[in-house]
Amino acid sequence: MILTSFRLPGEFGGLAPIYILPDKANADSGLTIETYQFFFSDFIYVEVFLKSFAVAIFTTIICITLAYPLALLIAHSPRKFRNLMIMLVVLPFASNFLIRIYAWMIILGPESALSHIINSALAFFDIAPVTLLFSPFAVLIAMIYVHLPFMILPLYTNLEKHDPLLLDAAQDLGANAWQRFWYVTWPQSLPGIFSGSALVFIPVLGMFAIPDILGGTGDIMIGNLIKDQFLGTRDWPFGSTLSIMLTLAVLSITGLFSWFARPTGKFA
Amino acid sequence: MPDTSRKLIQLCSALFFIILILSCNKPYLSSQATTPILQVFNWNNYIAAETIQRFEIFCNCHVEQDYYSDNEEMLAKLAAGATGYDLIIPTGNAVDTLIRQHVLIPLNKALLPNLKNILPVYLNTPFDPTNEYSVPYAYTLTLLGFNKNKIEELHLPTDTWAIIFEPEYLKKIKGRVTVLDSPRELMAAALLYLGYSANDQNEVHWNQAKELIIRAKPYWAAFSNTSYIREIAIGDLWVVHGYSNDLYQAAMDAKKTGRAFEIDYTIPTEGAVMSLDSMVLHKNGKNPDLAHQFINFMLDGINSAELTNMIGSGNPNLEAKQFIRPELMHNQAIFPDENTLSRLQMITDLNRKQRRILSRIWTEIKLR
Repeated sequence: MILTSFRLPGEFGGLAPIYILPDKANADSGLTIETYQFFFSDFIYVEVFLKSFAVAIFTTIICITLAYPLALLIAHSPRKFRNLMIMLVVLPFASNFLIRIYAWMIILGPESALSHIINSALAFFDIAPVTLLFSPFAVLIAMIYVHLPFMILPLYTNLEKHDPLLLDAAQDLGANAWQRFWYVTWPQSLPGIFSGSALVFIPVLGMFAIPDILGGTGDIMIGNLIKDQFLGTRDWPFGSTLSIMLTLAVLSITGLFSWFARPTGKFA
Repeated sequence: MPDTSRKLIQLCSALFFIILILSCNKPYLSSQATTPILQVFNWNNYIAAETIQRFEIFCNCHVEQDYYSDNEEMLAKLAAGATGYDLIIPTGNAVDTLIRQHVLIPLNKALLPNLKNILPVYLNTPFDPTNEYSVPYAYTLTLLGFNKNKIEELHLPTDTWAIIFEPEYLKKIKGRVTVLDSPRELMAAALLYLGYSANDQNEVHWNQAKELIIRAKPYWAAFSNTSYIREIAIGDLWVVHGYSNDLYQAAMDAKKTGRAFEIDYTIPTEGAVMSLDSMVLHKNGKNPDLAHQFINFMLDGINSAELTNMIGSGNPNLEAKQFIRPELMHNQAIFPDENTLSRLQMITDLNRKQRRILSRIWTEIKLR
């Protein structure tokens, strides 16, 4: 991939040949940094990156807020129900990913029951009707829906291991419910949150099917851009460049994450 | 307990492999020895099953089809090493690419007496000037589809691209319009509306088209290549930029399901894009003689008409016209008159620099 990004696109897609020993007719060796220059020549590619990061961050945060109570509930329920509940969380994986996305298309469509309810509620407050499908909202909903189990599972595995005696001890020492959560449960669950976040954040960043199907006219993400370079524009070198930039961005973010998540000695 | 479960796993995997082996070999073992096989790489749903059956009886052979839904997909699969296809049915610009890749074999016209059935307008196209490699199969137009009742109610024009580009009209149908998710098709529509050629390669004109598209974009619901067929047929969309085959399908669906509205489609006066699909022979094919027979068979009026009657595609075959259903023959958007025909253009391939520039413009359009 790194080598590809330094090459010229072939006339029919694929790659132009590399000339190891450039002869007179081909002074151009076929190796170039022009894709990188092209990437930085314009702000729009950086903008696409920033936008994708914003979507990924939003999705991750909302996934955490939705998954945390659920994971806590599962971890605190009687053992015989736990497996059933985990099975329910995993159940959507039994059907194909694309079918689930198409299902959202029907749910959010302008003639759907949901749209009618929301729009009649809005009409009551004199607000113009909204379209749910083909919007950033639809993309975000589907992103959260698809990736929620990836947040719940690591969180649950983490929360399940907590020693209930610690909570009892905190209560004995006079901590109220909120303090027990904030000083005992939350710090212990941070590793679960970090691994869940990684499992959500990175796939969302590279997702192209959801913006393609549910997105409106402005919902382009890095994934779509890279897919276009390979399948539409037949420009493999630039597609590789975009992939490398994405990998670098993800690596640096993961680096930052693990730096923040490093054991500080405070709770260890 | 572990012993029985291990046995069960062994049994299952043994069964799995037996089924795998059986299913892999069966069709090839039985048919290869007796009858020759014609391997066709075709668009989805682009030939009638009856036509295939008749050809199989006629030549005592077996036709096997693989499908693609996009020229780029077909080119990518060939580039990635898919081989063995005798016959491919790509669109003009992809024919151009295949010719320049030197992977096609020249046709032996002596084996194709029915070539005389093709109307001269569809021969000697820019992508294959002497029809050395390709024979026209069918064509599709990129045009405007609309919900007739809604558009009449709103008093909107339907014979101009203005309806998808001018805010003055678009504000009445905001969120009920989609355009194709294809840089070439959408730019062609914008360029035609601005009075340029669909194949204009001047970057200044491209930028004007970009501005036009960005100005109209807030009123569009989405860029859509396939989902618009269903959405316009159920009434969610009112105006679409789409393909004539698909809109024919949508119009039929709306009629069959008894909707309260009618779907119609027209060619804008500024002109439109025509995609002519042609039959070509790949040099890796094993049965070029059989493929020639197939081409000649498909050039026969009845066989050619069968496709048009099935999917509403345009037909370049003169002899086919008498077998095509009259309501299709009279549809101006499928069989345009001379005057309209002169305003249709075929898209040509771009070089790699232009492709990259267009891709950048497209990214900007999507982002703004």
